[in-house]
Amino acid sequence: MAEYHLKGPLTDEDVTKLKIGDTVYISGECFTCRSRLQKYIFDEKNVLPFGTKERNILIHNGPIVIKENGKWKLMSFMPTSSIRFEKWGAKSVDEWNLKMIVGKTTMGAETAKMMKEKKCVHVSPRSVSPNLWIDSIEVQDVYLYDELGRIEAAWFFKVNELGPFIVDIDCEGNNYFDRLDQDIADKKDEALKKLGIDENFEFTKLY
Amino acid sequence: MIKTEIYEQALFETIKRGATEISPDVKDAFMKAIEREANPDAKNGLEATLKSMEMSKVRENPLCVDTGWPIFYFKVGNQCELEGGFVELENAARRAVAKATELGYLRATMKHPLTGYDPGNNIGMNIPDFTYQFVDGDAIEMSYAAKGGGSECFGGTRHRIVAFADGIKGIEKFVIESFVASARAGAVCPPSVLGIGIGGTANVAANLAKEAACLRTVGSKHPDPMFAKIEEDLYEAINSLGIGILGAGGSTSVLAVNVEYAYTHIAGIACATSTNCMVARRASSRIDGNGTVTKMTSPNWFGDR
Repeated sequence: MAEYHLKGPLTDEDVTKLKIGDTVYISGECFTCRSRLQKYIFDEKNVLPFGTKERNILIHNGPIVIKENGKWKLMSFMPTSSIRFEKWGAKSVDEWNLKMIVGKTTMGAETAKMMKEKKCVHVSPRSVSPNLWIDSIEVQDVYLYDELGRIEAAWFFKVNELGPFIVDIDCEGNNYFDRLDQDIADKKDEALKKLGIDENFEFTKLY
Repeated sequence: MIKTEIYEQALFETIKRGATEISPDVKDAFMKAIEREANPDAKNGLEATLKSMEMSKVRENPLCVDTGWPIFYFKVGNQCELEGGFVELENAARRAVAKATELGYLRATMKHPLTGYDPGNNIGMNIPDFTYQFVDGDAIEMSYAAKGGGSECFGGTRHRIVAFADGIKGIEKFVIESFVASARAGAVCPPSVLGIGIGGTANVAANLAKEAACLRTVGSKHPDPMFAKIEEDLYEAINSLGIGILGAGGSTSVLAVNVEYAYTHIAGIACATSTNCMVARRASSRIDGNGTVTKMTSPNWFGDR
């Protein structure tokens, strides 16, 4: 498993070398997104009020940002579960030309397919450690604050060596968590056996 | 009579402490998990999480960006007298939540379920949530639990009626299969504090599961050996699965398994699970009848466990 320190905007070359299980740290310009932004753009047919060519790293997150002495202050940050945004995942990768999605959990098959086609990766954290991250993040600006609210607005972050994140979907469509599933399923069968639960056990059907 | 300003200030301090300070029992569980973790990446993840949680206390910022559903539990003395009564207690709790949100200790996370309207202060229909228990005496104990979205939304909370024909085996299989599905890719933010409710109607089982997840002292055991054995067996079984911190592999998948029960109908056994995320946020305070406020290290919801 290799470790990479990448600087945005990311290129195809930057991301195609990443394999599932690799560790990445990122620097450069990113924007935050939750479902309300994707719904606003893709379902309600509004135009994204900023370009993503120079800002092709999307972070699934609703940060806590407060205003202190007229300046934005980031109180807390933690990537949030990506899988619930699967409905708009492929569209986001395609239309916004994303090269990296920073989230938690992972994305589904449709997004992974588009990520393979457009060369994009998904990465996620291995800890819940906002305080080890917020010093690496500068809040630059915010878009759609009035329309979407403080949490679901698109925040512009400039990040410096933000990480570590694990690559869980690579540009070949491989998923790190799919590989773990079989191992966990095998261990689950052993654990059930140890508890005296037969492999042929079936619940009495009540409904 | 306990003055409004005293209980309102205690409510605010309890919310702030719950959002920004790791509980001592959760910290102990983390330290034990770090010690026995066999996967080096998972060990780093546990260490980073603990380090960040300790920094939150100093920096006075949230342990996690998702500050969850605001939930209050009150253990009320039968002779407890509050200025303005219990209606005012709930009003004061709402004001304290709004203030904690304004100051950034809580994120404005609560929104209208259909329109998505964000009031910006975490206050709305039936939110915050209040639960009461009545005991002797003139004191009031208050616990604030912040139930995270990840731990609640991805199948960590679910229920099944298990037939008496299937008994403990049925309960254990249901719990293990539910947990594996909900922890996939770290959805419920494992290592979890897994609460299990057995018996009662489905909602009683679900409430017991939530209280077992949010209000039991991590590391405590059920006093009835039959239930303590289920806790121990499931703790060992789930930690043998290799799910690990945020589901990326490792030897700690649960910090604790806590079971609580109620008598049930001859027709079946309601069984419910509730996972609490690894930060397991909560704080508790006690106000005696003379107005003295004390910080509690454990909620005391289930007596000494």
